[in-house]
Amino acid sequence: MRIVVLVKQVPSTDKVKMDEKTGTMVRSAMEAELNPLDLYAVEEAVRVKEKIAGTEITVISMGPPNATYAIREAIAMGCDKGVLLSDKVFSGADTWATARTLSSGLEKLGQFDLIFSGERATDGETGQVGPSVAAQLDMPALTYVSKIREIGDGRIVVERAVEEGHEVVESSLPAMVSVVKEINEPRMPNLMGKIRARKTEVTVMTAQDVGLDSSKAGLTGSPTRVVKVFYPSLSRNGTIVDGKDPEKTVEKLLQFLKDKALV
Amino acid sequence: MEYKKVTPGISEELRKIFGDRNVLTEVEKMEPYASDEAGKQYAHMPDVVVKAENEEQIARLMELANREHIPVTPRGAGSGLAGAAVPLYGGIVLSVEKMNRILEIDEDNMVAVCEPGVVTNDLCKAVADKGLFYAGYPMSVEESYIGSNVATNAGGAKVIKYGSTRSHVLGLGCISPTGEKLVLGGKRRKETSGYSLLQLMIGSEGTLGIITNVIVNLIPPSNKTVDLLVPFANFDDAAKASSSIIRTTKVYPVTMEFMDIFSVRATTEYLNLPPLPAQDKAEAYLLFTLEGVDQDELDELAEKAGTACLEMGALDVFVASTRTESEKVWNIRISMPTALLEKWPHVLTGDVVVPRSETAEFMARTREIIKKYAKVQLEFHGHIGDGNIHSSLIDTGNRTDKEWIEFAEEAYGELCLLGSQLGGTVSGEHGIGLEKKSVLRQSLGEYPISLMRGIKKVFDPNDILNPGKIFDLK
Repeated sequence: MRIVVLVKQVPSTDKVKMDEKTGTMVRSAMEAELNPLDLYAVEEAVRVKEKIAGTEITVISMGPPNATYAIREAIAMGCDKGVLLSDKVFSGADTWATARTLSSGLEKLGQFDLIFSGERATDGETGQVGPSVAAQLDMPALTYVSKIREIGDGRIVVERAVEEGHEVVESSLPAMVSVVKEINEPRMPNLMGKIRARKTEVTVMTAQDVGLDSSKAGLTGSPTRVVKVFYPSLSRNGTIVDGKDPEKTVEKLLQFLKDKALV
Repeated sequence: MEYKKVTPGISEELRKIFGDRNVLTEVEKMEPYASDEAGKQYAHMPDVVVKAENEEQIARLMELANREHIPVTPRGAGSGLAGAAVPLYGGIVLSVEKMNRILEIDEDNMVAVCEPGVVTNDLCKAVADKGLFYAGYPMSVEESYIGSNVATNAGGAKVIKYGSTRSHVLGLGCISPTGEKLVLGGKRRKETSGYSLLQLMIGSEGTLGIITNVIVNLIPPSNKTVDLLVPFANFDDAAKASSSIIRTTKVYPVTMEFMDIFSVRATTEYLNLPPLPAQDKAEAYLLFTLEGVDQDELDELAEKAGTACLEMGALDVFVASTRTESEKVWNIRISMPTALLEKWPHVLTGDVVVPRSETAEFMARTREIIKKYAKVQLEFHGHIGDGNIHSSLIDTGNRTDKEWIEFAEEAYGELCLLGSQLGGTVSGEHGIGLEKKSVLRQSLGEYPISLMRGIKKVFDPNDILNPGKIFDLK
């Protein structure tokens, strides 16, 4: 079985800083790491590989040259190959252009049975790239997958975490699967994996390599624009109830809860 | 020791000094100030709690306390493990929780000046925003105060490379026990000007003065780090590996921690986390952090140290190189003391420090010693790279507070004696406080203690400031 995992390198911080003028992320001086939610996709791919002999996993990402670091992290966990789509013309891409670029790369690399992605990236928070790749490659997208029940013989049965509970879905392969955190507990790579990852060559491909017209990539190829970015103002208007007369205080608090329909 | 009680008249005077909002006299409000993390068995209620907002108030308090002969116990966040902040003779607890401003980050001199009640982690974050690094890292970094770190010469995980709090303090502002203002050291980096009162004040556990501001050294941060989590099937192999790894590879870690399987299980259960890798096969883990200027250097160091671990019998070597993985593992190590204290009412957290090469011997013989006692669980975690293992004694026999204190003093006394025989001492970083007074006396002998008493008398002739800590005056 041929598996591909879509990964992204994200800033290693909870506080993503935005440039309010350009609407893009301030990436300078930020430590980067493999998107934490992609770890679950990588882990699930490795688990499939451990079950089905002859499986090969390719990790693919679009990003700056140093994104090979995130790719190597996935290889250290048990993936086999790494591909980085890196070209100046890719920069500033929205989710559609990113998916277009990744799809071109995947088409170039041949047929895959299964594409894994994380639920979303912790920086952009859209969760669109995985399903969009599926659409562009014209394959079924199974999103929010919390369990793979069966896989093999050209089919896959999964459980999807939906608002009302779980949905069991069967699909033909090839298919795209985006996973949620509940699906597994990602392993920590070991030293042998790390050494192997260091020695593994990551293939870098440009727009030309994947045969993508630069008008369809990056900012130019993006149908959407960030028109305004702002920090939401956080305000809490607390009410302090005078506690000198306990009985009256309790009445006031009760009234407050009743007004809010909490009791 | 005979002290006077705080009368309503004195309370009134305290209200004038500190303001109504900063004086607590209700029992339920004072209760949190009666003990620290050494445990409730060491608790003593104060007569009154005052919260200082500035140095002037503290000076006036000490004048009053000397005049009225009332003891004053200074207090930080209360995360100490030796009872140093417990008001043994009642009197006044002086909290510095409101003195929590970072006064200055001086980038030219690479120092920060802050009040004693600044949470150490807040200081770390503030200087990191300026691209600088404060190298002090007590395990209680998210709760303990910088002033208290100084008062106990706090250690923590990074001592192996960066040293204890003492190594980072350039200057202190203090109020002496008699209310005099003292300025010790400063932003300068060297000094050979008489006895170092600065060094004497650091680690004096609030017995020689009240710290009102701290000047700490800052350094540029290292670029990249990686954590290695190394399970060993055999306890002794893990214990022995620590010094061998450093000796044979010359890789010098920033942290090197030891966790036995008992503490790992207790903590993962307490935090409701999945088990660590190899938790079903391991008897102990080493956890260490390496620093490098770039990824290549870091990879090479990890490979060298990791390979050495495998040669010394490690089951595997796991590499946490992302922030997510690293936080997961360190969260377990940092939460260990809390996990134990939450689960068992009586825990004595050992703090013996021995030369690094003797750590394995210390742990093996500690196990032999504790074997003879019934209904006590022994647990090991701590800073093995410093030879500072927290060999904790846990009461599994429902002893009363009194029985436990007696038992713990006896058993821990034996461990301290063992530590001394191996070239160690009774406390590496938690301090003596109330809990380890008798073992300090046994371990040091009479003459050093008599010198300490003499020093205390010079600073505090009326024995007003934090009396009954480290040693008894008589």
